[in-house]
Amino acid sequence: MSLPNDKNGNMSFNSQLSAHLFSDLLDSIIVDVASECHRTARLGLDCNLEIEEEELRLSAEARARLSDPSNGGDVNGKYIVDIFGQTHPPVANDIFECMNCGQSIMAGRFAPHLEKCMGKRDSPLQL
Amino acid sequence: MLWRGSVNRPPTPEAEDGRQDQHLSLQEIINIKLVESGEKERLKELLRERLIECGWRDEMKELCRSFVRKKGKNNVTVEDLINVITPKGRASVPDSVKAELLQHIRSFLGSAAL
Repeated sequence: MSLPNDKNGNMSFNSQLSAHLFSDLLDSIIVDVASECHRTARLGLDCNLEIEEEELRLSAEARARLSDPSNGGDVNGKYIVDIFGQTHPPVANDIFECMNCGQSIMAGRFAPHLEKCMGKRDSPLQL
Repeated sequence: MLWRGSVNRPPTPEAEDGRQDQHLSLQEIINIKLVESGEKERLKELLRERLIECGWRDEMKELCRSFVRKKGKNNVTVEDLINVITPKGRASVPDSVKAELLQHIRSFLGSAAL
């Protein structure tokens, strides 16, 4: 890099100018990124952001429902309401087949059944 | 020794005065050359590419996202986001990237001055 004028003076001018030009380029890229993010945010194109906002909204609603005294928070009435607003009967009433003895068992009654059932090994219904 | 003409020479005008006289400063001339030759665009593309490669852009986007989350997406302006990312953005450019760009800029200045 040979320049005609005073070398020292021009080198510092050159460095200043280079640094200034670099800052220009960087600032221009910063503006690009900022306006792109702005556009993405305003148009709701950021999926993750949308999902997060939805979750925040739902949990806020659920919290409100929970603290609402008109709902069965604890054991008020027959059914308990959970944070999603669902009710569950006190005893689980799904019915399925016991894998040990083949009987039809209610889910809420499965543990006591299994205590008895497992005690009798080699059930006659087992294949 | 006799110093004649030079002693009474009027002082060299400042850059600002030069502008008023429609004389462009050296910096402006170089900027024009940079743009006209297409070199500015090339340099910007190079910088953009390097900043994407090193994750700088993702970092900036994440800063923007947190700000948007806090403030609410409909309350954010472009100005806000520029103010949010400029300090960190300027400070977190990797040295190697900066060095590479400065090298390109300097060699352009070298060739432009001839």
